[in-house]
Amino acid sequence: MASGAVDIELAGERLVLLPQRALYWPARKLLVIADIHFGKAASFRAGGIPVPRGTTTENLQALDALIDACQATHALFLGDFLHARHAHAAATIAAMHAWREQRSSLQLTLVRGNHDRHAGDPPASLRIEVVDEPWKIGPLLFAHHPQSHPDGYVLAGHVHPVYRLATRGDALRLPCFVFGAESGMLPSFGSFTGGHPVVPEPGDRLFVTTDDRVMEVPVRGAVRRM
Amino acid sequence: MKVARGEELRPEQAVNAWFAERGWKPFPFQRKVWKAFERGESGLLHAATGAGKTYALWMAALLRGMRGQSAPGAGLRVLWITPMRALAADTIKALEAPASTLLPGWTGGLRTGDTGSAERARQTRNLPSVLVTTPESLTLLLSAADAHTRFKNLDAVIVDEWHELLGSKRGVQTQLALARLRLWRPGLVVWGLSATIGNLQVAQDALLGTGQGVLIEGANDKDIEIDTLLPKNIGRFPWGGHLGIQMLKAVIAEIDASPSTLVFTNTRSQSEIWYQNLLAERPDWAGLIALHHGSLDKGVRDWVEMSIKDGSLKAVVCTSSLDLGVDFAPVERVLQIGSCKGIARLLQRAGRSGHAPGRRSRVTLVPTNSLELLEAAGARRALKARQVEARVPPNKPLDVLVQHMVTMALGGGFRSEALYEEVKSAWSYRELGKEEWQWALDFVARGGQSLAVYPEYRRVLPDEDGIYRVPDATLARRHRMNIGTIVADATIQVKFLSGAKLGAVEESFISRLAKGDHFLFGGRVLEFIRINEMTAYVRRGSGRKGAVPRWQGGKMPMSSELAHAALACLEDAAAGHYLGPEMRTIQPLLELQQRWSDLPTARTLVLESLHSREGAHLFLYPFAGRSVHLGLGSLLAYRIARQRPATFSIAVNDYGLELLCPDEVDFAALVQHPTAPEHALFSEDRLLEDVLASLNAAELAQRRFREIARISGLLFQGYPHQKKSSRQLQASSSLFYEVFRKHDAGNLLLTQAQREVLEQELELSRLRETLAEMRSRTLAFHQVPRATPFAFPLMVERFREKLSTEKLSDRVARMVRELENAAALPEKRRG
Repeated sequence: MASGAVDIELAGERLVLLPQRALYWPARKLLVIADIHFGKAASFRAGGIPVPRGTTTENLQALDALIDACQATHALFLGDFLHARHAHAAATIAAMHAWREQRSSLQLTLVRGNHDRHAGDPPASLRIEVVDEPWKIGPLLFAHHPQSHPDGYVLAGHVHPVYRLATRGDALRLPCFVFGAESGMLPSFGSFTGGHPVVPEPGDRLFVTTDDRVMEVPVRGAVRRM
Repeated sequence: MKVARGEELRPEQAVNAWFAERGWKPFPFQRKVWKAFERGESGLLHAATGAGKTYALWMAALLRGMRGQSAPGAGLRVLWITPMRALAADTIKALEAPASTLLPGWTGGLRTGDTGSAERARQTRNLPSVLVTTPESLTLLLSAADAHTRFKNLDAVIVDEWHELLGSKRGVQTQLALARLRLWRPGLVVWGLSATIGNLQVAQDALLGTGQGVLIEGANDKDIEIDTLLPKNIGRFPWGGHLGIQMLKAVIAEIDASPSTLVFTNTRSQSEIWYQNLLAERPDWAGLIALHHGSLDKGVRDWVEMSIKDGSLKAVVCTSSLDLGVDFAPVERVLQIGSCKGIARLLQRAGRSGHAPGRRSRVTLVPTNSLELLEAAGARRALKARQVEARVPPNKPLDVLVQHMVTMALGGGFRSEALYEEVKSAWSYRELGKEEWQWALDFVARGGQSLAVYPEYRRVLPDEDGIYRVPDATLARRHRMNIGTIVADATIQVKFLSGAKLGAVEESFISRLAKGDHFLFGGRVLEFIRINEMTAYVRRGSGRKGAVPRWQGGKMPMSSELAHAALACLEDAAAGHYLGPEMRTIQPLLELQQRWSDLPTARTLVLESLHSREGAHLFLYPFAGRSVHLGLGSLLAYRIARQRPATFSIAVNDYGLELLCPDEVDFAALVQHPTAPEHALFSEDRLLEDVLASLNAAELAQRRFREIARISGLLFQGYPHQKKSSRQLQASSSLFYEVFRKHDAGNLLLTQAQREVLEQELELSRLRETLAEMRSRTLAFHQVPRATPFAFPLMVERFREKLSTEKLSDRVARMVRELENAAALPEKRRG
């Protein structure tokens, strides 16, 4: 298992929070990835905004390293797989095909998100099973949008949560996992995605990620708003 | 003129007659300008507001029209550029008055961001004879495909308040627009108006080209009197805000004693607080005093300006929003709350009083903390010696160039070689290299210099004749919406539920408010209700207390002119000479500082180290202004942290800086006995490398990149009322910064961000001088048991820069440990 990871228990299942901003479910050999936003840079270029190439390759390499480290057989994407219609750019799709060939036995599932609705499903040739949210596996539900659901604990993406960790003399903004009583959020995986600051509720558990470690941050009993 | 033949006045006589009708007589400098104009010369007029500068140039332009020197027929003859659109309406009124008599055929018009679509459409058919506009609106006019036909009769360009534009990217934008206009109209007469600054020659060169044009001196700076409202009791600890409100009663007495007063503050938040406190103390002044700052609704500001002019207000609390333009003849008194930070600004604000000829201008400083008494003493000293700050134009900013290229591609298209020569004729780009030009062209045309081809990228493309154009109508529209170099923070409109507009506050402030929270805005306590479609709805709040919005925007550093004058005052004090009322008032505080530690002077560098629950503190007082202190703080922290991984938080003010490390650091040994020469903290060796390395560690460049990303078109502010439509193309500047660093490290916009931080935020050359000065000073190192008067304001400063050489996960682990320890403490100790 990857070093620097943290085990948690949710709905009776052991889950591993990875510093690479992903979640692994050992019992199912399932790797869960939120908000990878393939082709976002290409969409920007098509819109006349020059973003250098390299983010797709970076995403795929990170994904490879993680699959090897975990020995995952199934990768589940919690929505926003492709950023926009322009993400179907030839170069982006070609890179993904090449990757798919290398990983031909890996099972791939995408829970549709808001960007996927605009972008359209990925090409069938990538052999990705595309499903609507929430998608149930055992006691867990997987969704793009955070939500509560009577059928089980929900794990979702969409928010790109980051946490402002601050002490008296120091402050940092870090991608984070947040787990509440009924649902949890994963940080965004994509290399060209931003973050949205979150404030945990009392009782939530919050884990920040650095490049090589996941660390739990104590959540204060009461959250005071100014 | 329709006067019978034989009685016809010569143009000069007509102008003299117009002056005489008003009981005026042209000043000699005005005649000089008219003569120069007649000869077709360009130039710079140095004159203060209210000295007759407007008529010096406007009559000159009219005289050219009356003599038939400018082209006959319809169309634009004179372009009048003003830095503030709020001034445009007043300016056109001032210009139209004499024109209607002297050249009745001429028409006048306004073109600013506020100009409505009907007026814009009329101007598209035919521009007026004189157009008053801003740099942004002028550039927008140049982006029209048929722009050159609209300017074909242009005879003169006048740039008002050029000193205000000179040091900014807006000034660079103006230079580029002038380069284009000169290309179309080679004999174009160009004039600028400048108030007193330390580098008038540069102001002239940047406007007209090196060595071009003439400099005409207008009326001399009027006698200016500076005095200070002295506090009765200065207290021991000089921290911000404290003394400010202590001075309320004295300020009220001053306002009471004059028919009309302008109360200048340095920030919008400060103006809100002062206005509220004045009203609380003097409820009978409701309706007699007003508030004016840049975030208030235009309707409110217009009303306040009108009321000043007609003399119906007793006092206005304002910010730099009233620094410029508009003559407020009735203003008797000017008060400056807090430090003025520079002599040029003080001159400008003082000039707001005593406008009539022969009357003295007077400005009274109101210190908000006791150390500002020192600045007041310094200001008088510097002014006596006529030490006024320079305004330095940016050097070849590539973000402005990139924007300009797209604008020119829209405005009829360009050929690379020709536009390169044109751009180089603008002073700020006189040293633009061919490689930099090619890089910028590749950036707009191909999305970057890297050899990879981006087939999906298109912004500016050459047609079959090699002329670069913008092929896509959507991109063209988006570019026009985002022309300009003013980077505003995301703001939210503030409205009453009834729909009445109050103004705008920053999104980051509103997003922290919950329903029912109160805040202070526009001089009222408001209750926040909800946010809907980029508008915050509020109602009148009950009670008198509320949070005060903080608007972003850099704090101006104290100028080195003022800092050196303040150090000179301290030098006298160290020798026991307390000269002038300010120094005598602050004497007890300075003596305490001397007793506990030492007084910083031009000969003594004072360092203090202190241990507290937060960790190890080091204070030092080079008196070099906050920007230099920020650079110095990052540099010192980096040099210490290079020897051993550590994280520092850095607090700065204009007098000194503080380094705080949560771990133990033996500052005394580091400063006094460096283990090796390369560990000497104040060395100038490897300065650039160390500052650059410290920058990357301090993430300053990343923040600077925001402005560059916006100007160069990476970020766009979106269309009005359509904030959501462009979501898929929005990313934060820090995200762009990261992606460029990782995948396109040679991107020159990154280099520019670094250079801007070095030159503007940290003032590298001033930092170098400061290091040399510091090494020439005697080190006075004191281990102090508690904060000294100079240390205290730094210790309580909340905004802190961070620098870390710790591994990220070590740093986070340490922070988490600190939080856990704090949480484990008994409730009562946390209070």
